[in-house]
Amino acid sequence: MPAKDRYQNRIELLQGTLDMIVLKTLQWGPQHGYGIISAIRASSSNVLQVETGSLYPALHRLERQGWLTAEWKQTESNQRAKYYRLTAAGKKQLAAESQRWTQLSGAIASIMGLEGEPS
Amino acid sequence: MTRRRRDRELQEEVEAHLRMAIRDRMERGQSREEASYAALAEFGNKSLVKEVTRDMWGWASLERLLQDIRYGARMLRKNPGFTVVVVLTLALGIGANTAIYSVIQAALAPLAIPDAGRVVMVWTENVKRDWHQFPASVPDYEDWKASGVFSSLGAMTDGGFNLRLANRTERINGLRVTPEFFGALAVPVHLGRGFRAEDMQPGHNDVAILSDTIWHSRFGADPAIVGSSVVMDGVPHTIVGVLPKTFPAIGQEEIYAPLVFTAEESAKRGDRFFQVVGRLRDGVSPAAAQKRMADLEHRLSTQYADDAGNGVALQPAQDAAVEDARALLLILFGAVGFVLLIACANIANLLLARGNARQREMALRSALGAGRWRLCRQLLTESILLALLGGVVAIVPSLAAIRFITSFHLDELRNVDLIALNSGVLIFNLVLAFATGILFGLAPAWQAWKTNVGETMKEASRSYTGGGHHRLRGLFVVCEVALTLVLLLGAGLMLRSFVQLQTANPGYGSHNVLTVRVALSDQQYAIPEKQLAFFERVVREAQSLPGVVSASAVDDLPASDDLHGSGLFFADRPAPRPEDVKVVLRNSVMSGYFSTMRIPLIRGRYLNEADSMSATPVVVIDDWTARNNWPGQDPVGKSLKLGRTRPALQIVGVVGDVDQGILVKLLKGQVGQVYLPAPQAPMPAMTIILRTAVDPATLIPAMRNLVRRLDIDQPIFQADTLENVRAASHASQRLASTLLGCFAGVAVLLAAIGIYGIIAYSAGQRTREFGIRMSLGAKRLDVLRLVVRQGLVLAGIGIAAGLAGAFALTRLLSSLLYGVNATDPLTFAGVTVLLAVIAAAASFLPAWRATRVDPVIALRCE
Repeated sequence: MPAKDRYQNRIELLQGTLDMIVLKTLQWGPQHGYGIISAIRASSSNVLQVETGSLYPALHRLERQGWLTAEWKQTESNQRAKYYRLTAAGKKQLAAESQRWTQLSGAIASIMGLEGEPS
Repeated sequence: MTRRRRDRELQEEVEAHLRMAIRDRMERGQSREEASYAALAEFGNKSLVKEVTRDMWGWASLERLLQDIRYGARMLRKNPGFTVVVVLTLALGIGANTAIYSVIQAALAPLAIPDAGRVVMVWTENVKRDWHQFPASVPDYEDWKASGVFSSLGAMTDGGFNLRLANRTERINGLRVTPEFFGALAVPVHLGRGFRAEDMQPGHNDVAILSDTIWHSRFGADPAIVGSSVVMDGVPHTIVGVLPKTFPAIGQEEIYAPLVFTAEESAKRGDRFFQVVGRLRDGVSPAAAQKRMADLEHRLSTQYADDAGNGVALQPAQDAAVEDARALLLILFGAVGFVLLIACANIANLLLARGNARQREMALRSALGAGRWRLCRQLLTESILLALLGGVVAIVPSLAAIRFITSFHLDELRNVDLIALNSGVLIFNLVLAFATGILFGLAPAWQAWKTNVGETMKEASRSYTGGGHHRLRGLFVVCEVALTLVLLLGAGLMLRSFVQLQTANPGYGSHNVLTVRVALSDQQYAIPEKQLAFFERVVREAQSLPGVVSASAVDDLPASDDLHGSGLFFADRPAPRPEDVKVVLRNSVMSGYFSTMRIPLIRGRYLNEADSMSATPVVVIDDWTARNNWPGQDPVGKSLKLGRTRPALQIVGVVGDVDQGILVKLLKGQVGQVYLPAPQAPMPAMTIILRTAVDPATLIPAMRNLVRRLDIDQPIFQADTLENVRAASHASQRLASTLLGCFAGVAVLLAAIGIYGIIAYSAGQRTREFGIRMSLGAKRLDVLRLVVRQGLVLAGIGIAAGLAGAFALTRLLSSLLYGVNATDPLTFAGVTVLLAVIAAAASFLPAWRATRVDPVIALRCE
């Protein structure tokens, strides 16, 4: 019970951000869970390590929201995997979240006295 | 998408993830073992990931429930003391409810007749004469039958039969009915047939129908019984039918015989002696039937002087069957309901107290992501689990209670054989347990809902609670006290009226008196002289039995259910209007009755052998009649008439009042009582009374032999001591006062525990405050007063609320109360003081402990 609670907690902390990152990653085309983790790790230069315990719940949650659809396809190495694809609604959501993120990070950067672009 | 398919897909998705991870690692040069190990480690706990993911779809509710139950069971196991106390409290509360419910479902069971809603009792009513549910006369009955309202309208009247079996004769309860009686109930016979019109012809009416019970007990369930002959009242009767087991009995009847009206009965509209039951004709609604019958009776009342002022009331047969028991059952059900509510309040308080101790656990779980709703549900699950456990254990006390209640053999309770833990009762038990769990589980769940995570984590090292929970607990105690007060009042009133019944001077000496009844069959003893001669002989011979001091006989014992009333008239006064006629109870007594019963003589003389059939008609009246009709005068030598046109009777004596039994007391308060000499008013059935020098019950065999020797066809029955007869007439009161007493006792105990619990808790909370007060110079007595006052304030509010409720509720009791008012000030005051003292005592203990506190320790104990 406590272990599970820890996962849920992490999801809550990361929820908004993780969802946005996942949507962003899928902007380049359909991808499976393992591929998404690898992509996030690579594009963040190994800074962001997304745990499976957060990713899969997030994927299923986004699928339930209708922002993603999933289908089973073969990988290049000829394995069956569940690929997630951005829907039209998901694209709209990504746009909205990107904008909000830009505002937020800009605002935080200016508060912290760092170089930021005023929005 | 189905849940199973989703699960399978999730499983595949995870496996695919792992395969890809392993493959990548192997491509980077790791061995298969290394790669698998690292991939698995990186992935984390597979099943947990799946579980959390699955949660996103919200399909795990059943699993969560199972998890809640497992967790709840673990919590209950971890606190066995708490669990045992709560489960036992619940078992008592739920058990009492289950037992009373099993009695109710039997007593209020629908009549086993087709379309029972269309079967009604038809009663004569007369508001001015205070006739309520009054019997009918033959001419009225014939007019009602012709109304077209009923498809079948039957008449019935109680009657016992002396049934001869091989070598002895036994008294059997019976019912005399017209053929339409079976038509109205419309229950097909099991064997043979019902009565027909030709069975009503004098000379052809020696037929009988058996109940299922007597068919089994006396006739060995002989399938060929129809057509055979049985001797009843000394006359052979042909058995024409056997009724099914489900046939609804009106009373305890086991044999049915035709009710044939004599020419005299058929002529007299004022001679009301039987009950009427009818089935409404198709298409006639109950309301329309009532309207049409009321119109008809209104016509009859203007047409015939005997019907003047009369109305008619239709009562559903179902209501008639249950009305005797309704008040008693309602009161008992209310009482057990209160006990359960009090138990709930106590348990809710216990859970709240424990909830405070568990607040850290809750806060931790909520910080770890468990939602409020989830926590509430977890707590509710625990409560329901507790309640269901209590419900199961409750079966033990409920069985004991059922046995106890049935041991009273109450006439009012129908279907005693149906009182059992059947499936309906068990379902009730389960549903009640479930509802109870939700009820007392709401408080701790609400508490968890209110819990503020941050606040609690900060405060967690101290066992501090918000004022809200404390107020809630106070509210529970107030409710408990209020409910307990109502129960205590009910029990107190019942107890007082029961004591009054037991100890009230009945006006006669009931100790060492045996009573046995003999009912002569009217075929063998048709003429009054023969009846009189028989009873005189029985009394004479009984007097010479060893151990008998004196013997006499009376047509109906005082305090028996059978009453004979007559209108009181005076030859020398103008006749009153019909509705102003006073009713007096009339008894026919053999000489020696007053001395045998020890009813004191006030004026004049007792009746004696000289008051024979041919002597001047005389009467002895009771003191009440004398006081009310001849105030300040000596009635001896004056005369009265029992009926407008009856002969004048000369008053020869005045005797003391006797207890007229609960029936009269409840309906009329008190009425006059007159005694006629049996030779001048012979009766075919009398109760022989023996005053004995030995244990009266030991004389029963001797009396049985004595009567049998005189006439083998005349059995004795209802042989019992006068004390038992009196006690039996109070059986409802005894049952109600015993049970209410028990319930009230449990309630007081629970309320005391409740008060103790909350005061002890709050005193514990205020230890530091008390330490400060005492170090600042407060005396122990001041602290004591402070704490006790808190308890008394709660109890005071509860008592005030309870008194308000009790004024409304104890009125329900009034039909069972005797000699005490439903708002009896003495009982109200006594119970209030008792409860206040108990509340003070329950607060005193923790208060006293609070004063033992060493100020220095108290200040440090944070």
